[in-house]
Amino acid sequence: MKQLLQIELFKIFRRPRTYISFGIVTAITFVIQLAMLTDGKSYMSFALQGVNEQFDIHGNMINGYFITYIILQTLLIQIPLLVALVAGDTLAGEATLGTLRLLLTKPISRNQLILAKFMSSFIYTVLLVIWLAVVALGLSVLIFGRGDMVNIKSDTFILILQNDVLWRYAAAFCFAMLAMTTIASLSILLSVFADNSIGPIISTMGIVVVLTILSNLDLPLFNHIKPYIFTTHMIGWKGFFDDPVPVRQIGISAMVLIVYTVAFAGTTMLVFNKKDIKS
Amino acid sequence: MIRRSLNTILILLCLSVQASAADANELFNTLRRKIFSVQDYTADVKMKISVKYMRIPQLAGTLYFKSPDKMRLERHGGLSILPRKNINLTIRNLIPAGSATVIDAGQAQIGGKTTRIIKVIPEDDKSDLVLAKIWVDETSMVALRIETATRNEGTLTMDLEYGRYISNGLPDKLLLTLDVKDFRMPKGMTMDYTESRPDEALKDTKGKKGTIQITYLSYKINTGLSDKIFTPEASEP
Repeated sequence: MKQLLQIELFKIFRRPRTYISFGIVTAITFVIQLAMLTDGKSYMSFALQGVNEQFDIHGNMINGYFITYIILQTLLIQIPLLVALVAGDTLAGEATLGTLRLLLTKPISRNQLILAKFMSSFIYTVLLVIWLAVVALGLSVLIFGRGDMVNIKSDTFILILQNDVLWRYAAAFCFAMLAMTTIASLSILLSVFADNSIGPIISTMGIVVVLTILSNLDLPLFNHIKPYIFTTHMIGWKGFFDDPVPVRQIGISAMVLIVYTVAFAGTTMLVFNKKDIKS
Repeated sequence: MIRRSLNTILILLCLSVQASAADANELFNTLRRKIFSVQDYTADVKMKISVKYMRIPQLAGTLYFKSPDKMRLERHGGLSILPRKNINLTIRNLIPAGSATVIDAGQAQIGGKTTRIIKVIPEDDKSDLVLAKIWVDETSMVALRIETATRNEGTLTMDLEYGRYISNGLPDKLLLTLDVKDFRMPKGMTMDYTESRPDEALKDTKGKKGTIQITYLSYKINTGLSDKIFTPEASEP
């Protein structure tokens, strides 16, 4: 199994597209940091116009912690795409190249193969989120410095003291890893049905975009189904920046994501075991 | 005989009203002289802001004040949050500086102490302050409570507790209750994860009032603070 995992990781990390993902994360982060460096004050004064009517806030508001939060918000759509780019290719890519049938002639079970592909995609996802943490948090703190963090919700202004921020980011990035693992599982599931990787990648993105819109539409029609959609829970990392931290709600979100991940993985195994491999 | 008695009563009543007004004026002027004797101070403080739409932990820092209305909270690298200039956190700015009409409004008990209530109406029409109601502890010559009606900021109430710095008229603890407006951002912009829960401490106020509590740990009084301390640049890192 260890050898199988090493082979799968080798396959992922020899492809240029894997490094393109890391490059895209870096580029997006740089662009946001540059934008905030040049126009951060206007952004902040717009966001805080309701608060500024009654209170004067002074100090380094546009600090590394605040910028990281902005980057994480904007990457909500981009990171799933980058995860799907690799995970969606795991099975469909083999089918396209015609290596899947050859691979299954080896003395390994189909379940072992799927498990190895899941684990390699998981490792890739974790590394991508760690890279995001390094460039978003590390670089932002270097450029903008540290300070108390301001979090703006639709009806609440939250101030988090700087010595209380880092554990929240550690927890938030761990949660982001879980959310992205769900996306990777979905992508692998879609990959099992396709013979080329474009289909699963586009399908994953399509599903994420549609469900994200649905999760954010404040319509009574959708309010009943929102708790059961995984995209509603993917923003659970934001809960760590609330006051008080909604531990129960975050726990529910984590459970929903785990259930989805296991269900996607289980379905993939079920379908792959029954599938007639023709290429 | 009856007419003479009535005249006497009327004269006594007029004299007593005049004496009472004179007392209230004297009381107000003495209090104002004491408060205005503090030109500047530097104080180590702990501050707790409780407003419906704000979640702010207790802030510790150094509060700088220079008369008439300069104030700044220094938090050694952290963010400083203070009410806007016209809701000043100092007793001095809740007391009219110019000429004013002072009315004696009787007595009341605050924290077991008997206080005299005076109502002060500024004669300056342009002043934001419309009316100040002051509960004065005549023994220590300090204000224990001030309630002000302002043109733009609604009603402000300041409750004060004194200790080591009572001789300077400076409180050890201050509780400012103020009117607050709502804060709203489009949900599509913020993409909230959870709905906000109302602060337990503000349940009874229905979110219309907010409080700022300051505990003064120590003061350095009349040290001749420079104006540079209060410039916006001094607040930025």
